[in-house]
Amino acid sequence: MSILLAGRGVSRSFGARRVLEPCDVELHAGELVALVGPNGAGKSTLLSILAGALDPSSGRVELGARVGWAPQRPALYGRLTPRENLELFARLDGQPSPPDVGLPDTPAATHSVGMRQRLNLALAFLGDPDVLLLDEPTASLDSEQRVLLWERVVALRAGGGAVCFATQSLEEVERADRTIELQEGRLVVS
Amino acid sequence: MRAPWLLLRKDLRVLRRSPLLLGVLLAYPLVIAAMVGLVAAYANAKPRVALVDEDGLPAQVEVGGRTFHVERTIDRVATEVTLVRLEREEAERQLRSGRIVALLAVPDGFVGDLRSLARSPRLELETTGGGISIRVTQQVQALVYQLNRQLEDAYVEANLEYIDLLLEGGEGTFLGQRFDVLGLQGAGELLEELPPGPRLDRLREFVRVAEAALAETDDALRATANPIELVQTSEGGRSWALSAQAQSHALALTITFLALLLAAAALAAERDEGALARLRRGLVGPGELVVAKVALAALAALGLGAGIVLAFGAIIELGDVEGGQPWSRLPVLALGLAAAGAALGALGALVGALARDARTASLVAILAVLPIVFLGLVPREVAPAAAYLSDAFPFAHGLRFFTSALFDLEPWRTLIREAAWLVGLALVYGLAARGAVRRLGA
Repeated sequence: MSILLAGRGVSRSFGARRVLEPCDVELHAGELVALVGPNGAGKSTLLSILAGALDPSSGRVELGARVGWAPQRPALYGRLTPRENLELFARLDGQPSPPDVGLPDTPAATHSVGMRQRLNLALAFLGDPDVLLLDEPTASLDSEQRVLLWERVVALRAGGGAVCFATQSLEEVERADRTIELQEGRLVVS
Repeated sequence: MRAPWLLLRKDLRVLRRSPLLLGVLLAYPLVIAAMVGLVAAYANAKPRVALVDEDGLPAQVEVGGRTFHVERTIDRVATEVTLVRLEREEAERQLRSGRIVALLAVPDGFVGDLRSLARSPRLELETTGGGISIRVTQQVQALVYQLNRQLEDAYVEANLEYIDLLLEGGEGTFLGQRFDVLGLQGAGELLEELPPGPRLDRLREFVRVAEAALAETDDALRATANPIELVQTSEGGRSWALSAQAQSHALALTITFLALLLAAAALAAERDEGALARLRRGLVGPGELVVAKVALAALAALGLGAGIVLAFGAIIELGDVEGGQPWSRLPVLALGLAAAGAALGALGALVGALARDARTASLVAILAVLPIVFLGLVPREVAPAAAYLSDAFPFAHGLRFFTSALFDLEPWRTLIREAAWLVGLALVYGLAARGAVRRLGA
């Protein structure tokens, strides 16, 4: 299987505090990878580094595909409506205007946590990425939205893409083809 | 430049959706500018000076045959200070407490000396040791000068009367003593009655020359009293509040607050909302992000500045104020507003990138604005170090640009120099802000 995304010896420190020890991670085409570990294990840091949102203190990230990213805390403009958020990020990325996601046409800051998470995920899917990096994507979604999300994730895997998602849910871990486990910033299972 | 433009449009849309924030951003600097204006006006207010009358000044004093109404004369000449009559003890107490800034005492015997015309009467001035003492001393000196000017005429008239007495003879008084003077004319007539001779001819010649010389004394005496006379005319120009200086200060002050605060908060808000992490993923470079915030600040400065200039212009035109508003300089002023806004925006972007969040960025920006503004207001002659330091910030250059654009007949040299400073500062701060933004994800 071809490697779509790889982190080679990536680590991260914030000041003197090391939150991620050097580790190697690969995402292959057609696989669904669960990233697990207790709070503060370094899951979000690893996903942010792989997504290119955070520079690693050491190591490098090798990209072989288009990557979509949904951080744990929705990264969007609260004063803009969902449509305006989607259009802005699509235009910044040189993408065509995305389809409507069915959210109210009011500033995102006025929406519920679940609605903002839907927008966060819609931003991750912009431009039809080959690799999805999702940080606890279902944490605030209702059951219907969870089903819809998993349908899209499965479809992407079936299309030869790769998905890596952080989760605390055993049920979601069972959906994965492979599990990566972090403990206190160290990769213990890959 | 597509990304900065898209971000700028986003920021403008966000601003439009935050009317309260926008209102505060516009109103706050205007309020500060008005307050600074009031303080500046207070700085020009008359200081209180105690007048301690230990001689019991009469309502009227006759000097050299002229009558002076004491209160009226003091009111007429005391235009730069407010004189407050106090007893010496109370005046000393108020001087120590700072309620008055100086004590002007009229010592015992003042009026007697004044009337005698024989020696100069003395006034005593006591000031505090603060920075204002120089100004008060100058103002009291001006007051004494004005009083002297009033008295000079009386003295000159009195002296001329003595000259007339010497010329024509007659009765006169000096130091309270009455005397009868023969006069040069009388002396000449007496000499004519005496038998001629060489010694008498010399006396006649002396009387003739002395008569001729004293006849010319009038103008000479007046010229000696006033070697240079200052003739002052009242100009019907605009008031201080509508002056070019007030306008340029209002412009510089308001846009400094607005542009610095706006850029700092806008950049920090990107991080607060988590959007910065998404932008960093190859969508927007650090430089492009800084350019967007600099453009936002420049646009805001241009908008607010143009509003202030139009408001001043409307008041000036409606009030038919002499000189009018220099409308032809508006395009140049607009360039200056944009350049100053950009430089301030770059500084604000640096603050926003260094601060941890939008609230901290706003606070730091507000804390930074006041010293920057006050450094720029300190005259170079008073504190050269402060003036050199203020050169490192856009406020002083913006102020000089606006003043020159609105006021100078030949402004181009100043405009080019200050514009170069503003562009240079925008580049320096912009590059520093780009470096700081890059470090945010590092």
